[in-house]
Amino acid sequence: MDLSLSDAQELLKASVAHFVQQECPKEVLLALEMTPTGTTPQLMRKMAELGWLGILIPEAYGGAGRSFTDAAVLFEELGKGPVCGPYFTSSVLGALLVLHGGSEEQKRALLPQVARGTCVLGVAVTEADYGWQPQAVQLRAHRQGDHYRLSGVKLFVHDAQAATHLLCAVRTGDDPRGGITLLVVEVPTAGLTVRSLPGWMGQVDEVRFEQVQVPATAVLGGVEGRGWDVLEAAALQAIPILCAYKVGSCQAVVDMALAYSRTRVQFGQPIGRFQRVQDHIIAMVNHLDAARWTTYEALWKLDSGRPAAASVHLAKAVTSEAYVKVCDGAHEVHAGVGVMREYGLTLHTQRSRALYHLLGDPRTHRRRLADALGW
Amino acid sequence: MDFEVTYTPEQEAFRAEVRAWLAANVPPDLEEPVDPAHLSYEQYGKRRELGRKLGAKGWLYPTYPPEYGGGGLSVDFALILEEELDRYGLHLPPYYDSGGRLGAASILVWGSEEQKRYFLPPMLTGQWRTWQLLSEPGAGSDLAAVQTRAVRDGDHYVINGQKIFIGSLHGCEMMWTLVVTDPEAPRHHNLSWFMIPADLPGIEVRPMELLTAGGEGGASPGLKHTVFFDNVRVPAFHLIGGENNGWKVATTHLELEHGGGGLIRRHRVAERFLEYCLTTKRHGVPLSQDPDVRDDMVEVYIKKEIVRLLGLRTYWLSHANRPRSYEGPQLSYCRKVTNLEIAEIILRALGPYTLTTDPAWAPLAGLLEHFQRAAVVGLHPGGTTDIQKVVMARRLGIGRTVREEAGRLR
Ligand SMILES: Cc1cc2nc3c(=O)[nH]c(=O)nc-3n(C[C@H](O)[C@H](O)[C@H](O)COP(=O)(O)OP(=O)(O)OC[C@H]3O[C@@H](n4cnc5c(N)ncnc54)[C@H](O)[C@@H]3O)c2cc1C
Repeated sequence: MDLSLSDAQELLKASVAHFVQQECPKEVLLALEMTPTGTTPQLMRKMAELGWLGILIPEAYGGAGRSFTDAAVLFEELGKGPVCGPYFTSSVLGALLVLHGGSEEQKRALLPQVARGTCVLGVAVTEADYGWQPQAVQLRAHRQGDHYRLSGVKLFVHDAQAATHLLCAVRTGDDPRGGITLLVVEVPTAGLTVRSLPGWMGQVDEVRFEQVQVPATAVLGGVEGRGWDVLEAAALQAIPILCAYKVGSCQAVVDMALAYSRTRVQFGQPIGRFQRVQDHIIAMVNHLDAARWTTYEALWKLDSGRPAAASVHLAKAVTSEAYVKVCDGAHEVHAGVGVMREYGLTLHTQRSRALYHLLGDPRTHRRRLADALGW
Repeated sequence: MDFEVTYTPEQEAFRAEVRAWLAANVPPDLEEPVDPAHLSYEQYGKRRELGRKLGAKGWLYPTYPPEYGGGGLSVDFALILEEELDRYGLHLPPYYDSGGRLGAASILVWGSEEQKRYFLPPMLTGQWRTWQLLSEPGAGSDLAAVQTRAVRDGDHYVINGQKIFIGSLHGCEMMWTLVVTDPEAPRHHNLSWFMIPADLPGIEVRPMELLTAGGEGGASPGLKHTVFFDNVRVPAFHLIGGENNGWKVATTHLELEHGGGGLIRRHRVAERFLEYCLTTKRHGVPLSQDPDVRDDMVEVYIKKEIVRLLGLRTYWLSHANRPRSYEGPQLSYCRKVTNLEIAEIILRALGPYTLTTDPAWAPLAGLLEHFQRAAVVGLHPGGTTDIQKVVMARRLGIGRTVREEAGRLR
């Protein structure tokens, strides 16, 4: 047994940490939080040059072809920022969808560009009847000759504003699962509008289709009805990387609270001396470690080709909850200063809520866990 | 024991009078923005005007003595007023004011007769809206560590220093504050309590950028500020309770801030969330029929009922002048943590809908999105949850060698 990172992973971790420090300091993140895409062309270019946008993409398609754990190391460091932007959606979830479901031609067309940052993938699954189960995909694509016609709305789509291509889950048949197809929709396309949703959610959008025409060649993999299977396969591998992002976030928030509890003095002593403050921090650390080790084990299972489903659901259920609770604890510890925008803690609080449901909320994954355990 | 408030014919007549008066005097176009930061100056003006009209009848602060501008009414009458205002979604006072609720309570206990006659009527009749200036960058929970300094100069005091997390949207007429008057004296014996007219030269008010400015519980301020005092000259008459006696004066409003006055307000967000689940369909059926959401609804219901009853109990104790000890801080603690719990249950039940203010998609016009932020921010005003626990433990006789008593409200 050895639970440490490899030297190469330590190196990657250090270089991402350096990047986040240099390119995405708090002031930059506070500004990016308010933008529709959460990124800039310069940031995209730099991340592409470092090989990070293609980290999971095989070398044959212009990527770095690294392991899930490697990708998790990258995202854990980004989570510390917390760095916003379409990196997870495009380079992890989107890329995995194309890898699992795309035809050779689609892989060649999309993946090298994703790695270069010239193509940004968005993933549009959820709708007004929100949920991450196949029944929730209701948007119909009607086949007419050599194209499909779509009208309807995809809702709470992460990073759609940054996307050049949207991978849309649509209904082409009535079977709850077997009736779902993934379409690659280019942005812009006539009749397609992407709109940022205002509120405490960051880069989450509405995608509206009004008589949108998509060529039949846009079906991912060229065959109808495989969409949900592809989505499940890709999500199984993408989720632990999203979890790793949240582990990084939890770590950053714990670090903030520890630093503050050492330096903030009230009643003549650092507040960390108060057992009540210690209790908050201990609960935070326990959440952090639960998130970290459930995530790492799931990653190890994926990389070593072991059955990973139960571990993935476990990690997702634990980690989404952990991020919310760790932020709550940090707010208790920081009190007033923590709700001042410039302090930076609320960047995390916002993301802990906005990422809570992405790819399934804890309740969904608890249920899937019981299924995966064969109960 | 009787939870039902039964009304005498005299009280029923009072209700009829209040109802008719409100029908004639509550402006029909009062708006309550879901985010209090969006209250316009014009709307604020209407609320102030309503406050002054209520104040002229002694109904703004109905249980205060009439000789100082209150209504001299008993709890039962005050409840009738609150109930009738509640029909308009209003409460007393109909805007954020630290004056009547906290400041006036302190002046009533600690002010001289002359001071009561000068300060209380404008506060209690709604002429002045008042902010409380307690916290400083170095003094939050440890309020007694304030550094802002007042130095006597003839018949004035000269004040210098900085306060944070102060006030509300649209300014105030009067500020009250706790400052150092004797830097040599021991802790708690070095402070004094002042009423400061907001328009004195040398006062600078700068807005703070917060996640939002307050939580469910009191009237939400909408905005907080940093306030700087630069050689502000305040007449000595504005010192309440005597020099270096400020900490004692503060115990009165701190007791109230720690929940000691109780709470008889409905949990508007919880109620509207429950109503929303009963009337909104998802996947073709009402949300309330989804077994998961149903569980969540029950959990929200139970939590809000417990806080309601703790609030009612404490309100009764305080207004019926019964002995109190730990009940105030208990209410404050439970209200704060329950709000955060409720916010997270709603997040779980309604998904990302909870986080948007989008006109097309936001449930309840964005009320839930604001509550997500407000429940986090609301942990802190009036003392952190930890501090409420500290006080509660002292009142239970386990925090210190001597059991601490509740602060004086009368
Ligand atoms: C929205 C909002 C509105 C506010 N409105 C006003 C206002 O109108 N006027 C005003 O004067 N102030 C106001 N405040 C300030 C508020 O009263 C303080 O934020 C609060 O008292 C906590 O102080 P602090 O933020 O300095 O935290 P700190 O006191 O620094 O606390 C940091 C941490 O240490 C813990 N801690 C401190 N002492 C102890 C102890 N003895 N035992 C155990 N734990 C301890 C706290 O619980 C917390 O976890 C407001 C604050 C907010 C956020």
